[in-house]
Amino acid sequence: MLEGTLVDLVPFEDDFAIYLETWMNEEAWFRAHVWERREPHTEDDVKKYIENMEKNERGGLIGFQAKNGDPIGALIFDHEWTRVRKAEVRVVVGDSRYEGADEALDGLLMLVRYCFETRNLHRLDAVALPFHETWIEHLRRAGFVHEGTLRQHIRWDGDYVDLEMFGLLQSEWPGYVQKVAELSLQPSDIEPKPKPEKKEQKEAQPS
Amino acid sequence: MLLEGILVDLVPYGKRFTEQEHRWRNNESAFWARVGDRLPLSRASLERWRQEHAEHAAQRGRREIWFGIQTKDGTPIGDIALNRFWPHHRVAMLGAAIGEPEYWGGGYGTDALLLVVDYAFDWLDLRRLWLQTMGSNARVVRQMEKVGFTLEARLRQATYADGVWQDLLCYGLLREEWPGRAALVERLGLRPRG
Repeated sequence: MLEGTLVDLVPFEDDFAIYLETWMNEEAWFRAHVWERREPHTEDDVKKYIENMEKNERGGLIGFQAKNGDPIGALIFDHEWTRVRKAEVRVVVGDSRYEGADEALDGLLMLVRYCFETRNLHRLDAVALPFHETWIEHLRRAGFVHEGTLRQHIRWDGDYVDLEMFGLLQSEWPGYVQKVAELSLQPSDIEPKPKPEKKEQKEAQPS
Repeated sequence: MLLEGILVDLVPYGKRFTEQEHRWRNNESAFWARVGDRLPLSRASLERWRQEHAEHAAQRGRREIWFGIQTKDGTPIGDIALNRFWPHHRVAMLGAAIGEPEYWGGGYGTDALLLVVDYAFDWLDLRRLWLQTMGSNARVVRQMEKVGFTLEARLRQATYADGVWQDLLCYGLLREEWPGRAALVERLGLRPRG
């Protein structure tokens, strides 16, 4: 477990794998994966996605949870380019109650911390739909710079919308500890969700 | 002829082209096309790359359209492709390389580009094309301005070439901004070589 200020990073398994069956069919997922077609994801699709990300040598899927253990969503880095030392980052706030909360921002900061301070990447890319204001706000607070707009790049709900391009350089990152001190993150007062029912244990009744 | 231009024609990217690829991928054109990489590539690694690339594209259900570029006398000089294609967004990313440096700066690449843009809008019904190039690629920057692409983003230090960090420039063209190939041929003064 990697411990952050408001969230901890954990392997993407157990409850996270169960929640993902819902999350992958909800708004947060599609907003974070703007290139992909909006399609229903079956249980098998979700399982395959997790397996592929486990095998992915150019990326990773990490779970992040509140300090009380409440699963919040997925931190993803992908398309890591070894020669240039860069990767794309995205955050899926699966539990929409945390959308815009400082826990989601701390998830992003922890992902950046991992990419810069552990993987020693040089640059991170991020994209945002122009109306995804909470994400744009978090990118800016994390220090990402808006580098341009791909015009009418994405088909979204009957319209063609722009795609906002962001980048953050390792040299611009003051380090996680200092960044958190600057931002004075505040925990939100969100009750943990009830634990999802474990599928494997459905048959066996505990005595 | 698949797509007939003034200085070049676009034809299927077949064996006549793949036979040249080993030379092209090991000369200066690859440095620009691969935004700064200079890794010498063996025939075997090229073949492996081609196979893996095709499998990966098929796995992800990705469409790609590759053309060979040849001069009017049939000499293969390079390739141009809609190499990332998102039909549901009606967007494609362009990639091109003139593998024979003696054809740089003579309008051959631009002629091929005009053909592909026209093809993408008029036959494939796309709405938008985009591409990325290194900030130091003055030839492509000039070409983008001439043809009417808009500089939409500058991704800072997004690639590395010859010991320095380089920006990647993103250029885009919308269908309603495209005056048509004939107008561009006229404006740029493209004429057959005598």
